[in-house]
Amino acid sequence: MTRFHIHIHETLGFIADEEGAELADLATAARRAIEGVRSILAEDLLSGAIDLRGRVEITDGEGAVLQVMRFQDLVEVIQGPGDDQAPSR
Amino acid sequence: MIKHHLAKLRLRHEISAAEEAGIYAALGEVRSFGPREIVVRAETLLTHSTLLLDGMMCRFKDLKSGERQIAELHIAGDFVDLHSFVLQRLDHEIMAIKRCQAVFVPHDRLRHLTETFPHLARVYWFSTALDAAIHREWVLSLGRRSALARLAALFCELRVRLEIVGMAERSGFVLPLNQMELAECMGLTTVHVNRTLRDLREASLLTFRNKRVEIHDLPGLEKIAEFDPFYLYPGRQPPLD
Repeated sequence: MTRFHIHIHETLGFIADEEGAELADLATAARRAIEGVRSILAEDLLSGAIDLRGRVEITDGEGAVLQVMRFQDLVEVIQGPGDDQAPSR
Repeated sequence: MIKHHLAKLRLRHEISAAEEAGIYAALGEVRSFGPREIVVRAETLLTHSTLLLDGMMCRFKDLKSGERQIAELHIAGDFVDLHSFVLQRLDHEIMAIKRCQAVFVPHDRLRHLTETFPHLARVYWFSTALDAAIHREWVLSLGRRSALARLAALFCELRVRLEIVGMAERSGFVLPLNQMELAECMGLTTVHVNRTLRDLREASLLTFRNKRVEIHDLPGLEKIAEFDPFYLYPGRQPPLD
């Protein structure tokens, strides 16, 4: 088990993960980071807007950056004409 | 040895010297549990209930994926499974959060105690009903409160419960949970918990760092949580005679 920290850089501020967690490997930490980012965006969506300009950073216990992911790469936004605008048959 | 337990009982109900002696006589083996140690396994036949003397324990249930929901936190002086007296096998596990000391109360002695002192049977019935009231408040939190209000409500609840046994002040208390366990109480991810703690701190309401909760603005915190301590029945109750 290794200690990983999942830090969030939002447009409006930085959320440091001071405590971190003992996890099996980097892949587990990455999975947890992705779920975490999606969970905060999900709450933001309830207010009607989400800001995808942030990033999440995984570091080890010494602060070395192991992986960085941009919010916009963790969410797929499907846009285009809705079905009410689809060509009629 | 059971001063926290007696303090809690006596806050709400009159407990006679004979009843106190009866409770002491019912106590059995004292045991220590390490951090994350399982105290009670679900569906195992139990012949005793566990009274927490020191430390913190939790009731929880897991999904097959390993996702965990903590359903209640127990503090010093709580019976963590008084309901096992009648259920005999629990539908959930109980785990020590940190190093804990507990005393077992054999079910046959509980039977003798409650038959000798029917008033105590009602007092202990009250205590399981109080656990149910706490569960209902947690359902409200998990189902309807925002992350911010949910965390605020938990801190308000723990402050009142810990204050009853002399382990909290208006300004704060020690909380031995790590962020994962806090997330498992709140039905949130650890990232979401961290952001919500940041929001509470930036609103000058509360800081949770190094296992200590510092409350900066208790009325503000209670307002955010819509906290009404009624469900904790934290005062003298009508007699159960």
